[in-house]
Amino acid sequence: MDAIWHWFRVLYDTTGINLPIFYDAFDRRRFVNGLWMTLALSVISIIASVAIGVVGAWLQGSRLRMTRRVVNGYIQFFRNTPPLVQIYFFYFGIGSLLSTTGPTGHPVPLVSNVAWAIISLSFFAGAFNVEIFRAGVEAVPKTTIEAAESLGFSRLRTYLLIVLPLAFRISLPALNNNLVNLVKTTTLAYAIAVPELLYVTSQIWSDNLNVPEMMNVLLLVYFVLVGALVLAMDRWERAIRVPGFGA
Amino acid sequence: MIKFSNIVVAGAALALLGATAAHADTLADIKSKGTLVVGTKADYRPFGYLDPSGKIIGFEPDLAADLAKRLGVKLELVAVVASNRIQFLQQGKIDLMIATASDTPDRRKIIDFAEPNYYGSGTNVMALKSAHLKSWADLKGKKVCLIQGSFYNKELQEKYGIEGVAFPGTAEALAALKNGNCVGFAYDDTAIIGQLQTPEWSAYEMPLDSILFQPWGIGVKQGETALRDFVGKATIDWHKTGEIIKLEKKWGIKPTKWAEEMHDKYK
Amino acid sequence: MRRAADRLWRGSAARTAVASRARAWHSLAPAATDLPVLLPAATRLARNAAKARRGGGPPLRLTPAHGVVLLAVFAIACGVAQAQAGAGQPSVLATLWKWLPVLLRGFVFNLAISAMAMSTGTLAGLVLGYAQISQVKAVRGVAAFVTHFFRNAPWLVLLFYCMFLLPFQVRVFGMTIPIPDWTKATFGLALPVMANVAEIVRGAVQSIPTAQWESAASLAFNRRQTMWMIILPQCIKRMLPPWMNLYAILTMSTVLTSIVGVAEIMTLTGRALSAENRPGLLLPFYAFVLVLFFLYCYPIARWTLRLEAKYAVDR
Repeated sequence: MDAIWHWFRVLYDTTGINLPIFYDAFDRRRFVNGLWMTLALSVISIIASVAIGVVGAWLQGSRLRMTRRVVNGYIQFFRNTPPLVQIYFFYFGIGSLLSTTGPTGHPVPLVSNVAWAIISLSFFAGAFNVEIFRAGVEAVPKTTIEAAESLGFSRLRTYLLIVLPLAFRISLPALNNNLVNLVKTTTLAYAIAVPELLYVTSQIWSDNLNVPEMMNVLLLVYFVLVGALVLAMDRWERAIRVPGFGA
Repeated sequence: MIKFSNIVVAGAALALLGATAAHADTLADIKSKGTLVVGTKADYRPFGYLDPSGKIIGFEPDLAADLAKRLGVKLELVAVVASNRIQFLQQGKIDLMIATASDTPDRRKIIDFAEPNYYGSGTNVMALKSAHLKSWADLKGKKVCLIQGSFYNKELQEKYGIEGVAFPGTAEALAALKNGNCVGFAYDDTAIIGQLQTPEWSAYEMPLDSILFQPWGIGVKQGETALRDFVGKATIDWHKTGEIIKLEKKWGIKPTKWAEEMHDKYK
Repeated sequence: MRRAADRLWRGSAARTAVASRARAWHSLAPAATDLPVLLPAATRLARNAAKARRGGGPPLRLTPAHGVVLLAVFAIACGVAQAQAGAGQPSVLATLWKWLPVLLRGFVFNLAISAMAMSTGTLAGLVLGYAQISQVKAVRGVAAFVTHFFRNAPWLVLLFYCMFLLPFQVRVFGMTIPIPDWTKATFGLALPVMANVAEIVRGAVQSIPTAQWESAASLAFNRRQTMWMIILPQCIKRMLPPWMNLYAILTMSTVLTSIVGVAEIMTLTGRALSAENRPGLLLPFYAFVLVLFFLYCYPIARWTLRLEAKYAVDR
């Protein structure tokens, strides 16, 4: 292992291509942590946004007009404002209101910046997911639901066991777009000092003044990351596509 | 029809162009162009900040104006931040960098600094009075707000063990401090003193001793000896005539011992 | 009378047959069936997903209600900030008014960047999209690679890349042309626009019914003539709504350039806040930025909806 790190130091000494993320232990650790943070942000936000989408789609079918209005308002706000400004609002705006006084008397925020990034990104992607799932839920034929009723399924069990699986298979193409977008949007957490990949890379190039090398590494890593996700999602999509229904 | 090979070649050419072009005499260029391009901060009151008409004013723009006057050329100010000031200088986008940049050996490997230094400051932390910070060891493991690209970030995190939370600009860092997202804000002590004088920050203090005192340098591109010597001579003149101390008073900066020492030295 | 005829056509089997044949010719998916397995909502959803994939994002639907909500948010933010303000400090609205010229100039700059990025990206995207439907397999492959590369890269990373690695001036034929910051940021934003426009072009061309190609062939048009005189003119209508949607997304993304230091409205707001030295002003200033963006994006969103309705083409 050390031989590999040493090779990069030799590379720096001979060609001037400076890649401290390989030969310097501190920078290596930072970079890997940044990568983990990006992956963690993406995965948690994906799961949370899908959950928000499912719940939102359920609420949009509610009989109460107020519920429908609130869900609609939430969707329109998050779809029509820049996600960067949303993140700022959550972290600086609402974050300033949500704090308790700590033991030493100074304000202690209840929600950390990583948590705000996850919340903001999940709500952003969730807003799109609600629409996607709603259309998917609508696509399940009424006859199927009636059949479930006649077999004694309660409304909740129908939704969970029959409607959702079908809706999910139908919604997957639209969902894929959204999830890939979400992974790309995690870079915005840079603005609130979340130590994700872009943030640690910028710190490394500030400390070591090796901007071109780190830039190329960053671009490559994102290309591989997002590309792998797109490939995997495409294959999954093709595998569980419902037949008799083409785009 | 776009050919991929053409894209690759063009991209490589552009990337190579990004490397510093061989150009040894900026001073002559400035005189022939008739404009001096100086990079200063625009979000760091009172060293460089915006006035409501959009102009950059402050301690350092005044120094830049003086340099332009000495050369008999016009002044053009370019706003920079800590994370891009050195790149701009290397690329040649700015002729001089007067942007609260500390003169460190690491940076000297990449750019040249005029000598003597024109100003100096230490690094200190602005924290709540009720936090009762006594020493730098108290900050170990705690969250401290930083500015992206500052030279002390790495040392504070490595040596003093703080958990750094670095923001792109001062407005965000100060807002985070106000909200309690960090225990303190590590910054230049001169700037902190300036902030503490405003009523907004009356609940905060600067309790620790300043560390990492670094003189600030006016940066020039590596190899620009003519320009560097010219700026060096101007700096000696500033210290001799007490111009630095006068500017400190003008912009409400608490007079530093260092400036007085330099004035005495060159009197 | 025309409505009745429309309804007849819409429900007729002939139309389904034509549409399904066109789809079958151009896509790898099997022809649609008329089995009552799934409701038309499913088709609509799939079509919207394909549209969104081409258009760079789901469509924006703004209404005046959103404007009212934003103004309310802005008013509340001002109120809260005013309450937090100390005695003897000028009111929040007075401070905002003082900085208004600077902020508006920054916003106009945002719009200029979006216009330039859109035009550059569209031109490049048209070329790239044309390459994607080329008959030469190598050209197709390379164009597909470039498109996927720039669609998969995060916009912020592309911006950083262009800002840092493009030179600040180029020497062409002995002349030195300066490349200012905003030009580099515009180029950085034009790259994903180019990739998305290429997808829009490809999707639009693939949605033209086979009958058009066949008729052109029977009239002895060669490929170039078919593309330029028959197919592309029809595509323009289909490309307009997703293209305008992409523009709205791009306009909102111009705030990303603030992170790389371009002096647009977010940067100027940050500088104004530093100069004012009152963190309590953060909320009203950023709410004001939101209001400005809404005022610009709302007419575009309405216009897009109108265009969509006017040029609604069924695949």
